[in-house]
Amino acid sequence: MNTSGLLLRTTAVAVGLLFLSPLLYGIWISFQTANRFFSGNGEMTLQNYVDAVEKMNFLRYLFNSLIVSGGVTILSLATSIMAAYAFSRFEFRGRDLIFGLVVATLMIPGHITLIPNYLNFARVGLLDTYAGLILPAVANGFATFFLRQYFRGIPRSLDEAAWMDGANAWKVLYRVIIPMSKPAIYAMGLFIFLGEWNSYVWPLIATDSPDMLTLQIGLARLYKMDAQEGLVNWPLVMAAATLTMLPVLLGFALVERHLVRGISMGAIK
Amino acid sequence: MLVRFTPYAMVLPIVVFILAFTYWPILVSFDLSFRHWDFMSSEKPFVGLLNYSELVRSDEFWNSATITLIFTVISVPLRLALAIAIARYLTTESKTVRALRGAFFLPAVTSSVAIAVIWSWIFSTDAGVANTLLNNLGIAKVPWLQTPSLALWVIIIVNTWKQLGYDIVIYVAGLQAIPEDLYEAAKMDGGKRWHTFRRVTFPLVMPTTYFLLIVSVIESFQIFTIVDVMTQGGPAISTDMMVNMLYRTGFALFDVGKGSALAVLLFVFLVVLTVLKSRILGKRVHYEH
Repeated sequence: MNTSGLLLRTTAVAVGLLFLSPLLYGIWISFQTANRFFSGNGEMTLQNYVDAVEKMNFLRYLFNSLIVSGGVTILSLATSIMAAYAFSRFEFRGRDLIFGLVVATLMIPGHITLIPNYLNFARVGLLDTYAGLILPAVANGFATFFLRQYFRGIPRSLDEAAWMDGANAWKVLYRVIIPMSKPAIYAMGLFIFLGEWNSYVWPLIATDSPDMLTLQIGLARLYKMDAQEGLVNWPLVMAAATLTMLPVLLGFALVERHLVRGISMGAIK
Repeated sequence: MLVRFTPYAMVLPIVVFILAFTYWPILVSFDLSFRHWDFMSSEKPFVGLLNYSELVRSDEFWNSATITLIFTVISVPLRLALAIAIARYLTTESKTVRALRGAFFLPAVTSSVAIAVIWSWIFSTDAGVANTLLNNLGIAKVPWLQTPSLALWVIIIVNTWKQLGYDIVIYVAGLQAIPEDLYEAAKMDGGKRWHTFRRVTFPLVMPTTYFLLIVSVIESFQIFTIVDVMTQGGPAISTDMMVNMLYRTGFALFDVGKGSALAVLLFVFLVVLTVLKSRILGKRVHYEH
């Protein structure tokens, strides 16, 4: 490598590390004993993670977050794929209006639905349940819009060949459209999963019992309770925070390009 | 024959979801905003515009409206200026540059709660890095999050750090769409770097700036999570954003009517901004790759 290339690379690494230093430092703290953290002496440890999981219920929160994010992802993809297929391939009365209503949900600020959804879910007894956490997050205007664009790019001759072979609309979707769109569907699914994983306001309102909290709410509670007492066990809180960030940190390297492209497409639409 | 109904069957599930959990709740919010209710009693008497008039006559409302506005007016230009300044160096498609863009983008997809907790530690009075650094310069400990005049700045810093990567990625896409020969032409004219930026880059990237400006204003008015974790609107309601006030009014004080009235006011304001956005952006030229 030539000198300027090396210089560029070194600068880039330095800038990137500096920018991410709060995050990296926080993760580093999570491996310290309280003793080392406060006095500078002592050892590195995994005990904070053990404590977070065993004493603080974080394994349960992790499980809840997986169920909720997984459930939202599957249902969002299913409803969006079906709708996107219909919007991209069929002429039917009211199509543009319905499409408009679905996409408009993208622009509706979420806070307006909080009180009514809380009331409705309380009335039917769905607060503090997985269904209560999942259902309001299912409809995804962005996924529908994005997949419709993608499906439009698939040559119609492929559908028509399948129709000729006697397939019906559902079979065309299942045998042609979905297999042709796998990369887009995976990217979208991951996008939805991470978005729901980080979701905060609705789970904050819709859960209360310690067994139903998601990671975000569990972490916020742990920190807020400690902070109120004026004594935060920072290494333990950082271990909980690291657990909370885990899927993003793991998945990010894998799919950063998809994510970035998805975001830019959202802007350009 | 059945084919006629198939598309309806396919859009039905998502339509049920958007009606049940988005559109119906909007109507309910409007209705509740004209009523008096505490979540408990069996009666929800109609009180007309009382909730609204109480709201606009309360200091609490104007406090959080002002603070949300100050937050927005400071953090949006700050984000955009930083983003365009950084994005200019990140438009090439080498491995190194892509990795650096990724590093900037990471906080934007990371949990707001985790980020808020990490920064709470950094700005904590006794154990925080910020005070340790100041200490090395001989400056006494600053209680960042316990001081009304400072807490809002901390929120602005944390939010900027989190959102910056998104702005950068959008600016990079905008900058990459500018044809190379325009830069060449500016160079031939003997343009200095600042001159080129002001005369070529900045005007051409204006549609992106408009887009980000409106999107980040809309998003700034809805800030909640970072504030809820770091300060809960305090100290002395110095960081009490509108959604934080909404949450408190509805879910801590159980004033459903006033909470709904606040939700409706914010909703109408944001919808107007959104319509404005599509008006402005509807006219711009797109470059797609």
